[in-house]
Amino acid sequence: MLRRVLREIEALRGPINLYDLARRLEIEPGALEGMIDFWIWKGRLKDNRSGVTAAEVACSGAVCSRSCPGPQDCPFVVRMPRTLSVVLSPQDKGTPGI
Amino acid sequence: MTEATIALAGNPNTGKSTIFNILTGSSQHIGNWPGTTVERKEGTLKDNRVPISVVDLPGIYSLAAYSPEEAIARDFIVIARPALVVNVVDVANLERNLYLTVQLMETETPLIIVLNMMDVASERGLSIDTQTLSRHLGDLPVIPAVASRGQGLESLRQMLTALVASLPQSSNGLVRQLDPTGVCCRNPNPPSVVIPDIIHRPRVISAASPASPYQIQRQVELAFARTIVAQPTLISYDQAIEAEISRLRAVIEQVPALTTSCSARWLAIQLLQGDEATLAVVEKAEGGAGVRRILTGSLTRLEQFYDDDIDIIMADYRYSFVNQLVRSVISRRGQMMTLSDKIDRVVTHRYLGIPIFLTIMWVVFKVTTDLTAPFLDWIDRVISGPLTRWVIVSLGIAGLDGTWVESLFVEGIIAGVGGVLVFVPVLMSLYLALALLEDSGYMARAAFVMDRLMNLLGLQGKSFLPMIVGFGCTVPALYATRTLDNEKDRILTGLLVPFMSCGARLPVYILVASIFFPDHTGLVIFGLYLTGIVTALVLGLILKGTLFKGEEEVALLMELPPYHWPNLKTVWFYLWERTAAFIHNAWTIILATSIVIWLLMAMPSGGQITFADTELNESAFAAISRAIAPVFAPLGFGQWEASGALVTGLVAKEVVVSTLAQTYNVVEGEAAMESTMFHDDLTEIGASFVTATADTVKSIPLIIGIDLFDEENETTPSELKVPIRQSFEAASRGHGSLAALAFMVFILLYTPCMATIVAERQVLGRRWMWLSIIGQLALAWLAAWVVFQGGLLLGLG
Repeated sequence: MLRRVLREIEALRGPINLYDLARRLEIEPGALEGMIDFWIWKGRLKDNRSGVTAAEVACSGAVCSRSCPGPQDCPFVVRMPRTLSVVLSPQDKGTPGI
Repeated sequence: MTEATIALAGNPNTGKSTIFNILTGSSQHIGNWPGTTVERKEGTLKDNRVPISVVDLPGIYSLAAYSPEEAIARDFIVIARPALVVNVVDVANLERNLYLTVQLMETETPLIIVLNMMDVASERGLSIDTQTLSRHLGDLPVIPAVASRGQGLESLRQMLTALVASLPQSSNGLVRQLDPTGVCCRNPNPPSVVIPDIIHRPRVISAASPASPYQIQRQVELAFARTIVAQPTLISYDQAIEAEISRLRAVIEQVPALTTSCSARWLAIQLLQGDEATLAVVEKAEGGAGVRRILTGSLTRLEQFYDDDIDIIMADYRYSFVNQLVRSVISRRGQMMTLSDKIDRVVTHRYLGIPIFLTIMWVVFKVTTDLTAPFLDWIDRVISGPLTRWVIVSLGIAGLDGTWVESLFVEGIIAGVGGVLVFVPVLMSLYLALALLEDSGYMARAAFVMDRLMNLLGLQGKSFLPMIVGFGCTVPALYATRTLDNEKDRILTGLLVPFMSCGARLPVYILVASIFFPDHTGLVIFGLYLTGIVTALVLGLILKGTLFKGEEEVALLMELPPYHWPNLKTVWFYLWERTAAFIHNAWTIILATSIVIWLLMAMPSGGQITFADTELNESAFAAISRAIAPVFAPLGFGQWEASGALVTGLVAKEVVVSTLAQTYNVVEGEAAMESTMFHDDLTEIGASFVTATADTVKSIPLIIGIDLFDEENETTPSELKVPIRQSFEAASRGHGSLAALAFMVFILLYTPCMATIVAERQVLGRRWMWLSIIGQLALAWLAAWVVFQGGLLLGLG
């Protein structure tokens, strides 16, 4: 089941909602989340929000100057959903750099 | 002094703390686990003759020790060895919860399962066969409960009490009763005479019918019997793995230091999974080197047998076991779809998703432009009327009327800053709509459907997420590309983000579109936003195939949050903060720019004309703008006023409006020169505000084509609109509408502002920053040329 989840994700050809994937695999969404956490820990999936805080995304006042409420409260930072993507192994990445 | 210690273990949010609080009442101690900041809660089972210590372990999803909480829980269960573990399971998320249950069983610790939140499961149409569940889990006691209502907990308390009653001296009391020799824990073949009848008559205690003390006593003995007589191997791994487990187990059992508290099988499993903490303990133990040697051989054999890590293989087995188990014990009444799921079936539909997204955006722009028009006119009248009069009168009192100071205030500051502030209602309306869409959860769906489209075009889908931010402001959108770990993705996305039309461009669109396309303002603006998106996609495709060739797309999973009614406080916060940022820009950047432009307009370009007495056409500003104007002539707006505005627009896009206002605004209208009383002005402001509000309400049905206005709804053209129209008509030789459209396309595509340039320098680097600036200018010029010249060829405008 665990490896089947990863295979399904790697075989995807477009975005998919977590809950739709759970339905397709006939497992509970909570169980799918657990398996996804496992693959993130193993480094095969990546949580695209991890390690990035609002403070890093906001511009720290460059635009709004003194009316800036602070990076954590930046009103222009749109709260985006959690996304996950497959981590490509080095041989899959192709020629690095431009 | 407690006779036994019991641990509550389970996933987070399963109701462990509720059960803990009910079982222990006020006799609780709260502190931290040693050496950590993780909270430790311990209490004593209340109303009990014999004290039982209850420890509420941190909520964990597995015993894999990925986190401090998991390490704490695992160490407590395996090393401290509580007499019993009460595994609290959320029935509504059974499949996830049972993974931990299976791991707890592998530790061979006595276990009771509490199936909590039975009410929630029932509401969701789930029913569970608890007897089958118990049977498949080796006849473990299973207690259904609704902890929030206290249901099932009396049965649990009685069971726990009976447990301690059967342990008169210590937690191993039952063991001594059943096995006087005291070695059966380490005896793989213990006497099979121990309570054989109990083993074959498992009982499950129902929350609805509390069992008799005798039944509870038997259940307790059963729970302990499992650990003594035989430990059913519930998870039977693959033959190759089981062979290595047996091999390791045999060696581990020869090392007394390792088996005083831990199950040998569990240790073997942990070692095969590569658990470093366990390996460290083994290596330190006397005799551990032998275990290490066997482990190395086992891993070598298994690596040759399997194409994946052993911990993955073993975790896979557990998940598969749990999945099969849940299928056999859970039955669902009807399809389990929430309201959010049902809405998403339509909103994120493969074919309907994008049209729905475009429709919603069209409605947003229609509402933004049509409903705010009355307030836009109201602010314009207030600024050009009473406000200008008050300033002139005030300057007159100071003896400055008729001087360059009056010119600075009226033709510089009021014209420039006022020209931008007029659009505050428009921006507020747009920000309100965006805040509602974000907070309701729809924006995530918009990102989802656009991601699908981008994927179809071969682009990196997750790049659209920072682009969504660009609809508010380009600067944070650029910084949002930091969420993309791949450098190529980051640069490519950073190059495309400026094409998402930001809020600052909106006043320019509103001004120009309302002059030249009064009946289709919303549609034109919507078209511009769409053009920006399409341009980004097409450019992305081109860059993908050239400069950024070779990057493989990766699939994207997205966790769509449930829909919910927007929180008014949150919506107000975002609306106010974004509008405040816009107004702040007006009082800083635009004010400064307006003064600079006024100065350039007041300075003569040559000759004998004195400062502040210059005709606009002979000013320094006009001279500079005329030098640049020929560049824009092929685009249909070669007049110096427009080219000057575009140059100043590099400071901030709103400045285009203020520059146009200063350039085309000549003298204040007659209304501003009338002599009126202060209170008359206030009355006029109030009355016109009420009229504007009423007109706004009457405009609502206009969105769907119902006109409630009695007469032709034509607002009086302001002084600004007429000269702008005339100027564009003259420059384009009678094709003003086409030229205006080309002008707006240029605004859409050329470099957003100085702040964006600074952000590009920081996020993309100097080289890509220059490429972006030059590329955007070239693209904007080319696109505007295509619009104007192509329109001429087709006979449009």
